[in-house]
Amino acid sequence: MEAMVELRKVSKEYPLGKLTVRALAEMDLCIGKGEFTVVAGPSGSGKTTLLNMVGCVDVPSSGEVLIEGQPTSRLKDRARTKLRLHKLGFIFQTFNLIPVLTAEQNVEFPLLLQGELSRAERRARVREMLELVGLGALVRQRPNEMSGGQRQRVAIARALVSLPHIVLADEPTANLDTATGLTIIELMKKLNRERQTTFIFSTHDPRVMEHARRIVRIVDGRIEGDATCGGSA
Amino acid sequence: MGTLRLLAAMAWRNLWSHKGKNILVGILMLFGTFLVVLGTSVLDSIDQAMTRSITQSVAGHLQVYSKNARDPLALYGSGYMGADDLGVMPDFARVKAVVSAVPGVRAVIPMGMDAFEIYTATELDYAIERLRKALEAGEQARVDDVARRIRAMATLLREELERRKLLLSNHAEIDRQLAIIDRVRGDAFWAELPAAPLAGVEYLDTQLAPLVDENEGYFLQVLGTDVQRFAQSFGQFELVSGQMIPEGERGVLLNQKYYDDYLRNMVARGFDARRRDIEEKGKRFADDPLMRAKVERMVRQYRRVTFQLEPAQAEELAAKLRAFLPGAQGSIDELVQQFLRLDDQNFAARYEFFFDEIAPRIRLYLFNVGETLTVRAFTRSGMIKSANVKVWGTFRFKGLEKSELAGGHNLMDMMTFRDLYGLMTADKRAELAGIQAEVGLKDVGRDSAEAELFGGGAAVEQQREQAQGFDEFAGVALGGRERAQANGHFDPALLDQGMAINAAIILDDIARLEEARGAVQAALDQAGLDVQVVDWETASGIIGQVVVLVRVVLYIAIGIIFLVALVIINNTMVMATMERVMEIGTMRAIGAQASLVRWLLLLETLMLGLLSGALGAALGYWLVSSLGTSGIPAPADELIFLFAGPRLFPAAGLGNVLAGFAAIVVVSLLAILYPATIATRIQPVVAMSPRE
Ligand SMILES: Nc1ncnc2c1ncn2[C@@H]1O[C@H](COP(=O)(O)OP(=O)(O)O)[C@@H](O)[C@H]1O
Ligand SMILES: [Mg+2]
Repeated sequence: MEAMVELRKVSKEYPLGKLTVRALAEMDLCIGKGEFTVVAGPSGSGKTTLLNMVGCVDVPSSGEVLIEGQPTSRLKDRARTKLRLHKLGFIFQTFNLIPVLTAEQNVEFPLLLQGELSRAERRARVREMLELVGLGALVRQRPNEMSGGQRQRVAIARALVSLPHIVLADEPTANLDTATGLTIIELMKKLNRERQTTFIFSTHDPRVMEHARRIVRIVDGRIEGDATCGGSA
Repeated sequence: MGTLRLLAAMAWRNLWSHKGKNILVGILMLFGTFLVVLGTSVLDSIDQAMTRSITQSVAGHLQVYSKNARDPLALYGSGYMGADDLGVMPDFARVKAVVSAVPGVRAVIPMGMDAFEIYTATELDYAIERLRKALEAGEQARVDDVARRIRAMATLLREELERRKLLLSNHAEIDRQLAIIDRVRGDAFWAELPAAPLAGVEYLDTQLAPLVDENEGYFLQVLGTDVQRFAQSFGQFELVSGQMIPEGERGVLLNQKYYDDYLRNMVARGFDARRRDIEEKGKRFADDPLMRAKVERMVRQYRRVTFQLEPAQAEELAAKLRAFLPGAQGSIDELVQQFLRLDDQNFAARYEFFFDEIAPRIRLYLFNVGETLTVRAFTRSGMIKSANVKVWGTFRFKGLEKSELAGGHNLMDMMTFRDLYGLMTADKRAELAGIQAEVGLKDVGRDSAEAELFGGGAAVEQQREQAQGFDEFAGVALGGRERAQANGHFDPALLDQGMAINAAIILDDIARLEEARGAVQAALDQAGLDVQVVDWETASGIIGQVVVLVRVVLYIAIGIIFLVALVIINNTMVMATMERVMEIGTMRAIGAQASLVRWLLLLETLMLGLLSGALGAALGYWLVSSLGTSGIPAPADELIFLFAGPRLFPAAGLGNVLAGFAAIVVVSLLAILYPATIATRIQPVVAMSPRE
């Protein structure tokens, strides 16, 4: 299976007073194209840290993260930002929509940053995405006028609109009730099936984990079990 | 393009979604812009008004004067009235020819400034003259009346001298004067008078009268010039009373302000001043101790009215006053004193009575338009010169009627000025050289000349005493080494022949002032004349600096306000940025470059700046426009000059509004610089972990 993301002996240490906290310990991991991977583990085990490394929003203390075979740890801020814009999509635990923008504008935002599509193309793409997540009617709503589930759907549309190769979701259901959480998971699974987008999301909710095709378990910054590409699929 | 639109939309909405912060910052920016528009408009208007005041009253656009001057030219006084050493341009005609040939020069007007002493018949002189006539006619009753008056005047003078004595360490001179006064006050003098009337009158004339002159001397600040050309060239000039000095005639035109402030009867002046207090300043006797104190002083000045009255007039007025003041009793002196006790209730009626009934019976001014006065000068060569000059009329500078500064100049024909100033003809220069050779001096400076040429103050004093002795009151001749021709005619062509101390140059176009200044200087240098050119601002001395000072103060004030605003805006924006860490981190995580974040904040602040700036500028423009209709009253008489009148009518131009905008844009950008830098340092990783 083709490697989408590869971690080679990635360590991440945070200074904590005079001590250092080791959030990831020489982690090796390979995630293949089109995988739907859940990163599971108790709170504080290093799930978020792992996703930060994969999402190129933070740099490892040592080791290397490769996205589609490209090493990323030495990239400058501009290049790293560009890589995030073009290859990655983010879904946040707290949704993180831009409060002053409407649902439609939030979804359009990455397209504007990319600056590749015409206005008409952008509009069409945004509508398509909002339909896809089931929010076609709410285009003009602002985030504070929407429910948590609706906001997370907008966030998913925003993550997918730029057709990223990898979508990262850090505990996307943690701030949602169980039922809504499950529909969100279902939605992500559906998108993964239909578009072959690689999904990596973290959770410590066992009911959510049931839906995963591959589960990467981490405890204390280490992976328990298989870390190879296409592992448990 | 799309990004910019999105940024603009985001910035715009962020403005409204962070209302608290933005209202605070917006008000600061609004106030700053408002202040810039208001301040610069008013300043520009003051600038224009002052330019008009100065260039159209005395200075013209440029001034020329000798390069040998030791002091800088200060048309409105340097603080050393009349004592500045400005050198002399010996041949004005030559200067005029050279300067007039420069393109753009419309007129060249010769000038010279000096302070002269003026003498005129005093109340005592009039009384002595009446005594002489009464003695000649042998009317004992009239002699007694005048004698009583003269003795009262002597008593008054004695009080004055006693006061002065307290301040002096050397009493010899005062004691000598007191002896003269006491002799006149004593009975013996008057008992001897019928036997030797001529000797008695002469004693009064030569001994007592000079003491009054000494104590009632007036200084006349004179601007010698070609008066006709002056009147034509300076737009603010306006004749108030009398007539223009005819061409080829000698004489003076007095500044109405000087005429009213120094030469008007003190009691009349008091009535006018109180009326201004009440009508213009809204004061009341009841609540203003200063006004009451001034009334007390006026009451003590009753003799300024009663001394002038002939016995018959005094009777007449006493009767009217008894009718006017119910229950009033006593002599004319007591009645007038009672009349002068002014308060809020009686003021209006008494003002009217004074000017209807009393004023026509007395001399309202020390001398009247049409009369001749004696002007005496200490020339630069140290000699005393005097001239009798006719007062043809009074004038004012329009709008500057109340300004102390504009009131300082009295116009005198250039010929008389040259005579009094003393350095005109070759004859006189030769004479001076002779005197200097005698005394053994090479150069006689103005300061030391008196003492050196005449062996100290005593000699001058002696000369002065000789100089007294009025033989007739219409044309009083004073002694001295030189006597200028009184009321002489002269050939107008001679006006340009001879010296001038300085000269005003009027240009066709004030906008080309700097260029013209250079051209005039070049022409003068080329002609080999030792003459320098200065612009009106420099020539006006300290006054020209006032606007610069006001400007500096205002700019410092605006600077401080902007600095404070800058700090507050900066802090507020830093705090606001901290509140938006999550939002900014998210934008960064999903692919926004740091520069985009910077642009967003810049745009936000700029929008806020322009919005509040527009409001502030509109507010400033509105205020200036309404002030432009109603006018800003000059808060003090000193400011009338800056305002070119009692009120300043400011106008806001596009430049002022643009200055306001420019200032606010600069402040906005400076204020956001640091917060924007902080914002660009926000890492995308902050978006990932839920807020702690
Ligand atoms: N910015 C940080 N500074 C210091 N310690 C951190 C930081 N982020 C995470 N950690 C520590 O690293 C470990 C892993 O954290 P995290 O990746 O957030 O775990 P999880 O997402 O599984 O709950 C924890 O012990 C946490 O306290
Ligand atoms: Mg976590």
